[in-house]
Parts: sequence; structure tokens; C-alpha cells
Amino acid sequence: MAIAGLVVTAIVAFILVVLFISWFSNPPFGWGNAPAQPIDFPHTVHAGSVEEGGHAIQCEFCHRNVTSGAAATVPAVEVCVICHKQVNGSNVTTDAVAPETLINIQRVLDKHAEERPIDWERVHRMPDHVRFVHEAHIRFLTQGEERTVTLPVGDEKPMNLPVTVPEACSVCHGDVANMEVVQPQDGQSLKMGTCLDCHRENNVSTDCTICHK
Amino acid sequence: MPNAEFPHKWGMVIDLDKCTGCQACVIACQAENNIPINTKDYFLQRRAYEWIRIERYWEGEYPNIKARFMPVLCQHCENAPCEPVCPVFATYHNEEGLNVQVYNRCVGTRYCINNCPYQVRMFNYWHPNWPARLENQLNPDVTVRTRGITEKCTFCVQRLRRGEIEVEARGGQRLSDERITGGNYDPACVQACPTNALVFGDLEDQDTSIKPYFDDVNAHPGHGEHDRETRGYRLLEEMNTRPSVIYLKKIDQYPLKGGH
Repeated sequence: MAIAGLVVTAIVAFILVVLFISWFSNPPFGWGNAPAQPIDFPHTVHAGSVEEGGHAIQCEFCHRNVTSGAAATVPAVEVCVICHKQVNGSNVTTDAVAPETLINIQRVLDKHAEERPIDWERVHRMPDHVRFVHEAHIRFLTQGEERTVTLPVGDEKPMNLPVTVPEACSVCHGDVANMEVVQPQDGQSLKMGTCLDCHRENNVSTDCTICHK
Repeated sequence: MPNAEFPHKWGMVIDLDKCTGCQACVIACQAENNIPINTKDYFLQRRAYEWIRIERYWEGEYPNIKARFMPVLCQHCENAPCEPVCPVFATYHNEEGLNVQVYNRCVGTRYCINNCPYQVRMFNYWHPNWPARLENQLNPDVTVRTRGITEKCTFCVQRLRRGEIEVEARGGQRLSDERITGGNYDPACVQACPTNALVFGDLEDQDTSIKPYFDDVNAHPGHGEHDRETRGYRLLEEMNTRPSVIYLKKIDQYPLKGGH
């Protein structure tokens, strides 16, 4: 009897551990850290506010497809080179800029010269059976008549819509402009409940085929 | 998005008089919906994946013989026998008259396959496989179903969803019924049919060309085929599954001698 009890306990413990890990692991809460990128890209410098030393570039300037298609898309190297053709360190003294920064910029220019894309590592991964169209969500937040909604994300404060595109992005992605490295666990979890809460709140259909494909 | 104000009820009419059995619908479906390439083995084991198939029947004896073709796809029944048997609610009927299969909810019991009288539900017995050069042509709007789950025709719901979002974006406001109809949303098989044997439409739209056939068949249910004004009938009508697909029977101009 004692052995049988031990076996049952072991099996139950094993199942609990598996459930625990699968519940808390990557998509929902993201125990994993951000993957190593081929180039250390600081969102703070590019999208951060001018007062804090950033350049306040709008999200949709680089993630160009976000207002027109399903995927936000990572920019092509040409988009980087629009600015970095000029901002390449040739007209600054190395005292003012850290040498790593110049190395990173040089990597971008090298890739452009080679006509090769940069092999960015994916940070947020949506499962294959989910359809998420960025365009429709950005459109909901940035267009239409003036209204106040309470979105069940973040600190759940009432929001006055419409907002600008970067504000719309930060509803789910968090304050990316002030993140040196974008971690998977920053911003909204990718759990289905989050999607459903928001759809219910705003009278959007919750039919399975709306999101699942 | 489907809303109560402007409901949809999607349906299809298949005119067997126009069907030549060319299999264009089968190929279009295969390309649109990421269906694995069937090998000879798959067919020999009767495990081939085809969301729409052409059933071929021979009539008469050689040399006095004719081939008959019938495209069979998921009938999207109103009384679907597959739906109540699913233990995990992976298949259900949605507000638009579609019989939906939620792949990530399916656990692969195959009850629905056994309960489907039309044999249009497919089980993934193997991991899906494509030749390497075909993997880049997979449709990103459709998930690649993994091994061990059931799949079936969706009436290309991904096209409907994409169309809805595009129409919404163009108007800058919510979708209204004047915009998305059977006229601007067609499944891949309907789009590919060279003889227009397959016609798709919205039964809530009074102007759709398929509406009279459904009205006629609904007015004479069961074995009332001879009272009908059109050639319409449903597959296995006596089972009262009430499919959303209506077939128009073939009128043979030159019947077989001695045949029926």
C-alpha cells in the first residue's frame, strides 16, 4: 500500500509540475529572457522622447506594415539606412559616442553593402493557429469618433480614444520606447483570456473563427 | 465581424449539369488550405486528405457507358451530426451558418468523423509533409494542422475574415451588410470552377442567385423531390441534417439506351 501511495503521489506531483510549467512558461508570462540579437538595437535611442536623449521616431515609421496589414513587420535594412547613411559616426568624435554604438551602426551598414537582411531573432511569438491583424486593432484605437473606453489591459484606466499610433501600440506592448531590450514578458500576456476580455468589453464578436484559423 | 444587425447565412449550390469533373476545385482547395500532398499510399490506405472531392460514378455497361461526377464537400449541416458528439466542443455551428472546426481544441477522438454521413471530415494520421520547394507556398492565413486532429472544409472562412477587415478598413467604419456579400466573398473551389458549377451566396441576402433553390427545397422537404420546381436536392435528405449545400440534378439530354 505504501508503495502504491508513493507512486500515485509521484504521478500527481509530475502532472502538477508539468501543468505549472506549461501555464507559466513562455507565451503567458514569459519566464524566458529576450533572445540575443545580431545587433544591439536600443528602442530608447530611436523611439524614446527627445528630452531623454531619444529621437522620438514613431513606431509605424519602421514597423511599416502595422497600419496596413496583419504583421507589424521588422523593417528592411534600407529603412535603417535612410537615417544611418548620415548617422554613421563619421561626423562625431568617438569621445561623445560609445564605441559599441559605432560598431552596431557599422554592422547595419555592412549588411546593407552586402545586400543581406539582418537576422533578427523573434521576441513575441503568436501561435500558428491564431490570426492577429495589427491593422484592425490599430484602426480601432486611432480612428472613429471620440469616445472613452476601459480596456482590460495594463492598469485598466479609462482611455480617451482615438489616440496616436504609438499610444495605441503601447496599450499591449508596454512602453517600448523606454526599453533598452524588449523582453517577452513586458507588455501584455498573449493568453487567450486577455484577447477575449477586450473583445467582450468592446462588443466585438467572440466567435472562434474570428481569431482561430 | 458578424453582428446581430446584419446576419449572414452562407450556402452553396452545386449544379451537377455543369460539373465536368475537372478537379480544379480539388486543386484550388488543396492550395488554399495547406492540405498535404496525397501520395499513392494515402489513397491505398483510404486516408487521403481532400476537403472537397469529386465522386465518380459509372452508369451503364461498356460501350454504352457514362461517367457521372459529384463534388462533395462539408455540407455545413444545420442539424450537423458531427457537432453533438464532440467531447471538447471543438466543432460547433456559428452565427453565420458555418460548421466550424477549432483545430487547437480538437483532441482527435474521431467521433465526428464516424458520425458524419458525408465522409467529409479528415483525420491527420501523419505529420503534414510537403516537398521542400512547396513549403514556401503555404497559405499564411490557414494554420498547418498537426498530426492527430480532425480537419474539414471551412467554406474558406479565412477569406471571409480577411475580406471583412479589408472592407472595414476601406470604409473606416463597422462592416455593414451592403458591403460583404456572396458576391465579393467566394471560397477557393467556387473561384476556381471553370464552368461555374459551384455558386456561393448569402441566404440572408434576398438578391442572391442561390436563394430560390433553397426556398424551393425547404418548401418540399424529405421525399418531396417530385413536387419541386427546381432541380434542387440535398444529399441524404432522409437523414434530416439540413445541409447548407444544395445539388441540382443532372438532366441528361441523351440518356443511355435501356438505362434510366
